[in-house]
Amino acid sequence: MPFPKTTETLMSDRNYACQSPEHRISRRSLLAGLLGGSLGTGLVDAGLGHIAGLSHLIRPAVAGELAARQKRVLVFFMAGGLSQLESWDPKPGTDTGGPFRAIPTSVPGVHISELLPYTAQQMHRLSLVRSVNTKEDDHGKGAIFIETGRRDMPGQRFPTLGSAVSRLLAPAGAALPGYVHIQPGGAGVNKADAAFLGPKFASISIDNGKPPADLLRPDGLSPAADLTRNELRRKANQRFTARRRTADTEAYGYSYDQALQLMERADVFDVTKEPAAEQERYGSHDFGRHCLLARRLLEQGMTCVKVSHSNYDTHFENFDFHIEQLGEFDRPFATLIDDLAQRGMLETTLVLVISEFGRTPNINPGLGRDHWGSAWSVAMAGCGIQKGAVIGKTNDNGTAVAEREVDGRHLFHTYLAALGLDPKENYPNLNRPIPIGDPAGEKINELLA
Amino acid sequence: MIARLFARFVRLPPASTALALAVLFCLRPDFSAGQEPPLNALIDQQISSALAAKGITPAGSSGDAEFLRRLYLDLTGTIPTLGEAKAFLDDPSSIKRQQLIERLLNSREFARQMQRVFDVVLMERRPANRIPQAPWEEYLRQSFAANKPWDQLVREILAADGAEGALRPAARFYLDREGEPNVLARDVGRLLLGRDMQCAQCHDHPLVDDYLQADYFGLFAFFNRGFVFTPKQKDQPVLYAEKAEGDVAFKSVFVAGATDQPTRPHLPGQKELDEPQFEKGQEYSVAPADGVRPVPKYSRRAQLAALLPRTDTTAFKRNIANRLWALLMGRGLVQPLDMDHGGNLSSHPELLVLLAERFAVMKFDVKVFLREIALSQAYQRASELPTGVEALPPESYAVAQLKPLSPEQLGLAVLQATGIADAHRISLGPALNEQTLHERIAGSLAPFVNTFAGQAGQPEQDFQATLEQVLFVSNGAVLRSWIAPSAGNLADRLNKLPEPSAVAEELYLCVFTRRPTPEEVADVTSYLQNRAHDRPVALQECIWALVASDEFRFNH
Repeated sequence: MPFPKTTETLMSDRNYACQSPEHRISRRSLLAGLLGGSLGTGLVDAGLGHIAGLSHLIRPAVAGELAARQKRVLVFFMAGGLSQLESWDPKPGTDTGGPFRAIPTSVPGVHISELLPYTAQQMHRLSLVRSVNTKEDDHGKGAIFIETGRRDMPGQRFPTLGSAVSRLLAPAGAALPGYVHIQPGGAGVNKADAAFLGPKFASISIDNGKPPADLLRPDGLSPAADLTRNELRRKANQRFTARRRTADTEAYGYSYDQALQLMERADVFDVTKEPAAEQERYGSHDFGRHCLLARRLLEQGMTCVKVSHSNYDTHFENFDFHIEQLGEFDRPFATLIDDLAQRGMLETTLVLVISEFGRTPNINPGLGRDHWGSAWSVAMAGCGIQKGAVIGKTNDNGTAVAEREVDGRHLFHTYLAALGLDPKENYPNLNRPIPIGDPAGEKINELLA
Repeated sequence: MIARLFARFVRLPPASTALALAVLFCLRPDFSAGQEPPLNALIDQQISSALAAKGITPAGSSGDAEFLRRLYLDLTGTIPTLGEAKAFLDDPSSIKRQQLIERLLNSREFARQMQRVFDVVLMERRPANRIPQAPWEEYLRQSFAANKPWDQLVREILAADGAEGALRPAARFYLDREGEPNVLARDVGRLLLGRDMQCAQCHDHPLVDDYLQADYFGLFAFFNRGFVFTPKQKDQPVLYAEKAEGDVAFKSVFVAGATDQPTRPHLPGQKELDEPQFEKGQEYSVAPADGVRPVPKYSRRAQLAALLPRTDTTAFKRNIANRLWALLMGRGLVQPLDMDHGGNLSSHPELLVLLAERFAVMKFDVKVFLREIALSQAYQRASELPTGVEALPPESYAVAQLKPLSPEQLGLAVLQATGIADAHRISLGPALNEQTLHERIAGSLAPFVNTFAGQAGQPEQDFQATLEQVLFVSNGAVLRSWIAPSAGNLADRLNKLPEPSAVAEELYLCVFTRRPTPEEVADVTSYLQNRAHDRPVALQECIWALVASDEFRFNH
């Protein structure tokens, strides 16, 4: 079989009508990856080593370098409605405070619930917003507001933060998907996340240890056969696009090369490949493993990782359930914050701990708290965010915001500004003008570093 | 007799000659309209003069193979069979293209393809919660099979309340949007009038001068009284009902201290409707009561159905002309298709006006309109750039656009290319017809729709290649099972061909709808020679490589 041309001529700098610089940049970054990467022995033995190449993914030094430069987002979604009174904004000794105490943190003067002792030791890396009033107590609408920065309105759908950031910040040549959602039993592509940006920027749900569907080669298809058939494909593409090259044909042909890269490192999704000591530090429960997987993916350069933890919807037995839930959450979360900081990644990673809403100060007869969008809290850390700040206040028993009221619009603007993006601009290269943030929103300046 | 004489001249059997004459009859200059050229000639005049003005030389005509594949995909949603491909490519007739256009337009497959296309245009893959998908699809298919005029189809859809048996499926437009007036205002604007006025809900559109909040609420007012009525008895159908009261008022969030401005229904840019006033208690012909669907004497919805789909509604004509043009040409004269406004000029303003006018004069006849576009040189252009030319702007139509296959086209084309459709045909035997074949294979399209379609209810995005899609093609079980040899499919047939040149010919005709070049034959030959020990596996690699290529993925 005649040897195909090298990747250089495949990725030559052709013009096509689009003429956009984004396309040329992405070709160069793939080129760097393909030619610069080292190869598995199997491929070299097959004499096909020069064809596929492997990306920087398998070279930790380069991965670290890349990770240091690129911005990322890590979202902890506390599904069901995390009680602010049992976490970020305790009111012990009041008619609404419940049984738990407040404990001091690593920031003098700042106290959080005793249910988060490890997190309290990381407080100097976190900031809190205690004055969130989204006026939303519906799960779906609450989630939409906090994640997309716009109220749910009929006939309109906006992208979640992860999709927006994936679109705006993920490097075009990256082999890893831009946005992954780690949740127990998760599978498939969540197209709704990306709204009008298109499924390319939607989150892919994964369960711990299981890669996205069809990532692994089926039995009966050897890596060598896969490379050979892809060579045929590339050759056919060369002929076809010789006088017909467009941005679309490039994107399509190129997506196969990206997938080949990713297939070589399918175990990036497998948390059990982390050293045993690390797995122990994070714990063997689901959430612990999810946090470790999140760290693994972020280290490899993934742009947005969302980790869901459930279930916080404690209409009954609010206090017992929060002991359990936050018991699971506290230590791995604190470990992850600490690890990101130690590895120099926290400066370039925006971390959010959000929920659909908070929980009522009023304790119902079932010892539960109900949905409450009027005065609740979110926590943030990392890229562009102040350290150890507390923005806003609720009144003495948490029944209303007292100072600096903000809602989903302000928070979304803040997320984007923290990443160095301008939420007042329109999405670039979209076929209609749509502003990234709600035009009526403003960033929370005192929260930004 | 004319046919026999003509047949002797062109050496065709009389039946085909009759068809050929019919074709030529359609191409004749329209003397009755004062010797005006046919629409396809006018299209070419407009495109060519714009090209001349820019000093652009267009590409020449496409080759037969390229035209064949393009026309089949555009009009029937799939690629031709091996037999159909050979028959066309080997036909020496100089009018075979016109004949093919005629034949495909009159086929059942055309109605089916229009059903698929307009299902997506009108419903954007919203789930079928209220009206099942099957009767809705059949309603569309029958409409196109009968060549129902577009204005009539839209009228039926906008008038539908779901009560009348035969037209009940038409109510899917309203019911599967839950009768939500904001969704309806936006979607009627986008899909039927070519204007996305979403941003004008809260204020005049900040960036598009033509999209006013008053116009948004003028449309909204047609829907504000509508609601989904669920009868008490479980076996009774859910209906789209309407109250006799409910007024609309709006104010801009941008204007401090603004007061509510009331509005009655009106189409964008037109006057508010004069509405009859009734005495209290006289507004309904069926009064609302518990478990009773109210029927007002005056229906805003009925007014919309009467007013919108008319020749006088310019936006209505422009929108459909633009969408039908884009269907064949790969790009609208206004692009995006739902952003028609003064600040987003058409690439060929006169042509769009002409097409809109002519479509109305043709009484909104979809088939005739598509025929004219297909007959034009602009449609039949090659997709390869002429030598020495590096790039041509897509809006010039100097070269044919590459159009990514829709999810349905891709699924059907893969079924045909891998020969699975052929295997179904064989197994159907004498029961084979368009309907029975469709029933066999329709279910196989679901994974393609799941993987390649965008988000439901969203305007169609620009082409994207996602990880999920490429893994589906590369490693997914569906394609693997179709490519693997099974009775009557392509791999099975190729396994039985000892001669590599025969293999190459059948492979390329089945997958790419063309014959291989000598280089391609040589490549296949040497590939197979090197793989004598596992030839069947090598053949499957060849099939996969072509199916996964750009040439297959795009309609060119």
